[in-house]
Amino acid sequence: MNKDIEKQAREFFAAENFDKNSEYYCKTRDIFQARLDKMIIYLLKEQLKEEDAYILSAIAGEIGNNSFDHNLGSWVGEIGIFFAYGKVNNVLTIVLADAGQGVYKTLKKVKPELKNDIEALRTAFNEKISGRAPESRGNGLKFVKANIKDRGMHLDFYSGSAKAELNYAEKIEAVNGSYQGCLAIISLKKI
Amino acid sequence: MKIELRKFGDILVSRPAGREAYLAMSAYLLKGVDENELIELDFQGVKVMAPSWADEVLTKIALKYKNLKLLNTENSSVRATLKTLEEFSDFKNLNYAGRNKKAN
Repeated sequence: MNKDIEKQAREFFAAENFDKNSEYYCKTRDIFQARLDKMIIYLLKEQLKEEDAYILSAIAGEIGNNSFDHNLGSWVGEIGIFFAYGKVNNVLTIVLADAGQGVYKTLKKVKPELKNDIEALRTAFNEKISGRAPESRGNGLKFVKANIKDRGMHLDFYSGSAKAELNYAEKIEAVNGSYQGCLAIISLKKI
Repeated sequence: MKIELRKFGDILVSRPAGREAYLAMSAYLLKGVDENELIELDFQGVKVMAPSWADEVLTKIALKYKNLKLLNTENSSVRATLKTLEEFSDFKNLNYAGRNKKAN
């Protein structure tokens, strides 16, 4: 995988770059599911331990499906997600991105006191809350956080002008520039 | 009544798929089953399970049926998912056999 994959993901949904025929574009959940199945085969071929491969797939599945769950009928840009995986400098890397509403806008509907993207990310990774209330949801990103930590993985999750960096610890901070929807970069050095 | 979850697929990751699985279970497997009957959920053959799918299926079953037993929960993603459900969903206050003893 190209080392500029993060840049490619970040710019993928810009009108001048959008390529509906890209191998990384999953317009629908079904396409994402099929490519997730294929990723598991790839991870096992790359000698990743089965237990890590399955957890990693569950994490990617949660993040990718979140994009579809929370943006159905409300996509800001193109429908669907960007989903790429492979090795970058021998580090296994999975990148997911969408041009959706982002975490702040989604959660503010159910937690109006949220003030900014940082508070929204802190809430998303730590509180049982879902933008789709009254449906009882909101466990996906807590699962992601716990298993990134337990398995020695690394996650950079961007939404709006904030970034959550998760590994053995959690750091949520403002970043320069902003990303419209959500951009997640998962990495694992064990491969 | 034993339900083999691998018959719903070996990669169980989204809420819509979970909802569909629960509806199919309700129509074909659990129809007419008494709420006190033993329900065995067998995870043998499941490779990937995520909490979104599981919350739509396991939590709903656990809320409806009082005598639940989980079998073959050794898979890493199954164990991690059960741990998350116990912590963050309505699954947490339920007593069932095969509780997530080996989870980290």
